[in-house]
Amino acid sequence: MANTSQTPASQADATRVARSNDIIICEGVKKWFGDFQALHGITTSVREGEVVVVFGPSGSGKSTFIRTLNRLEEHDEGTIIIDGVELNNDLRNLEKVRSEVGMVFQQFNLFPHLTVRRNITLALSHVRHFRKAEANETAERLLERVGIPEQIDKYPAQLSGGQQQRVAIARALAMQPKIMLFDEPTSALDPEMIKEVLDVITQLAQSGMTMIVITHEMGFAREVADRFLFFDEGLIVEEGTPQHFFENPQEERTKLFLSQIL
Amino acid sequence: MRGTTQIKAPAPFPRQARRWAHDNLFGGVANTLLTVVTSLFLVFALYQILRFVFVTAEWEVIEANRRLFFLGRFPVGEEWRIWPPILLVSALAGLTVGLRTRLDLRSTIMMVLWLAVGLTPVFLFFAHGTVGILTAAAVGLAALGYIGARIWLQDSRYVALIGQLVLASWLLTFPLALVLLVGFGGADTSLGIDGVDPSRWGGFHLNILLAVVAIVASFPLGVLLALGRTSSFPVFRVASTIYIELIRGVPLITILLMAWLVLPDFLPSFSVPVLAPSGLDDIELVYRVMVALTLFSAAYVAEIVRGGLQAVPRGQIEAAQALGMSTARILALIVLPQALRAVIPALVGQFISLFKDTSLVFIVGLTEMLRAGRAVAQGQIEFSGREMEVLLFVGLVFWIVAFSMSRLSQQLERNLGVGER
Ligand SMILES: Nc1ncnc2c1ncn2[C@@H]1O[C@H](COP(=O)(O)OP(=O)(O)OP(=O)(O)O)[C@@H](O)[C@H]1O
Ligand SMILES: [Mg+2]
Repeated sequence: MANTSQTPASQADATRVARSNDIIICEGVKKWFGDFQALHGITTSVREGEVVVVFGPSGSGKSTFIRTLNRLEEHDEGTIIIDGVELNNDLRNLEKVRSEVGMVFQQFNLFPHLTVRRNITLALSHVRHFRKAEANETAERLLERVGIPEQIDKYPAQLSGGQQQRVAIARALAMQPKIMLFDEPTSALDPEMIKEVLDVITQLAQSGMTMIVITHEMGFAREVADRFLFFDEGLIVEEGTPQHFFENPQEERTKLFLSQIL
Repeated sequence: MRGTTQIKAPAPFPRQARRWAHDNLFGGVANTLLTVVTSLFLVFALYQILRFVFVTAEWEVIEANRRLFFLGRFPVGEEWRIWPPILLVSALAGLTVGLRTRLDLRSTIMMVLWLAVGLTPVFLFFAHGTVGILTAAAVGLAALGYIGARIWLQDSRYVALIGQLVLASWLLTFPLALVLLVGFGGADTSLGIDGVDPSRWGGFHLNILLAVVAIVASFPLGVLLALGRTSSFPVFRVASTIYIELIRGVPLITILLMAWLVLPDFLPSFSVPVLAPSGLDDIELVYRVMVALTLFSAAYVAEIVRGGLQAVPRGQIEAAQALGMSTARILALIVLPQALRAVIPALVGQFISLFKDTSLVFIVGLTEMLRAGRAVAQGQIEFSGREMEVLLFVGLVFWIVAFSMSRLSQQLERNLGVGER
């Protein structure tokens, strides 16, 4: 693959990273779907504990980008290093990275045939090899944290959208990830449920978790984010603090988009 | 549905019935005419059937030949081999239903009614002798298992353990039945017991045997084929697809005839203990037919399961991958449970038709129930011309089992349905 030729450079990066506290490093990440290029070379890095909000027009490659970070999509060119481990065809690396990166999806993707408890404990027992009691205890603790301990023995279909998304967050947190990725976590929710989910995510951000969040909830974004990334046509068009974006965005495209969503 | 009927105060029954009749049966001239003509026809048909069943028919032919119907040419004195599995299955069925289902009043009434209908012919024809006692024992065990499970076991602390024991016993039933039938260890050793010559297996017992073997074997094979067909490895995909499409394009009878007439020419001559002591190319017809039915059914199971696999949303797999689960675990814990659950009705439908198709093996000369019945009506002078009685009885027996399977699957769906979206 294209990225194997860059391994020596990326190892050098990895050492530098360890010093500079960069837990995610992307260099020239490109991705094609057939003939269509979805990512045109993404270069950025995320410090440990940093909260990055990604936004931009539909089809700009936001989802594709964060999905390359736990290799739900394989990138075709460039380098991605997560906590010192390069993402490539090496399956052991993949396993390590996936166990450190939690992900929350727009559509929740809870397992409908399992109870809330099993949704949370399944990977704990089969990937982390927790004993049953330990796993159960983790599930109870995390449901407490996301505010729905009483729903533990229900099935996903018996919960509201907001509750389901909070279970999904608990499920990802159960694996004790160092990084959490959120792909439009509130877009599929009815308006009255958005706040309860955003509150949980805000709390998580304040607890020091490294996070990348795709969202168009700009009020929330402004509150939690250390940095904004504005995507358009597979590129990071503009990057900076929330203040920068709200007070003097530089690029025309950014201004246009912000004027549409604010 | 339920919500809307609760909002309106229900009309008094006669008025409701009158309105229903008016809306559905007598709205307009054409509708009324159709209703009258259809009713006349139904009344006539019912009259003819009842007259036959209760007046014209001479049911002695069934009672006199019940052994032939159920066991074919099974050697006299060897029946004991058949009863342990039957008794075990009865008890386990009772226990399982009692443990697994939360019956409401309506389904309880349905079940009792159903048992009454199903058991009446059993008691009509088997109410005497050893068979009568053993049949009663089987029914009693089922009832005991059910009641015991509902009263003592369902709320017991050991319910999970008991559930596992029951499951293990189910898995053991099948080998037990086979071992009792084909023997084990070789008759000449002190521990071994002899088997019954497979060419003597027959009657409804053979239908059940063929169906159970084919179902149990074709299910995993079908799942593997479905996985093969949806796999990303071209070799598996192409091989599975070719197999499935080949089998589905050929009538079952053709496959059965091949198993009968030409398969031995393609088999090697080395011998397999117990199953084919005189060489694989000389293996008993019953076994060849079992293989044929299995291979046939597997192709259909595969297509049904493939439908279920495709119905599992991509996001399910991605969520599991994001949690770091391996491909094998994702398949076993996330994809297959959802896929199989979604296709239970179709699978049971396939297994019911497979069960009925076992009557086709009379083509290759096996004395299953239908053939046994034909032999009675054609071969015994005192019962010549009793074809209708025989066919009705054979039909009824098949129907009882097929209908039970279908009811059971509905119950199963309802009990598994809790977690559905
Ligand atoms: N599996 C795929 N196959 C082909 N094209 C794809 C695939 N996934 C994404 N794309 C394309 O890549 C581009 C980027 O998609 P992506 O989902 O990353 O956009 P996005 O910024 O997340 O948009 P949205 O806000 O609508 O979620 C889109 O044009 C999309 O059509
Ligand atoms: Mg997206």
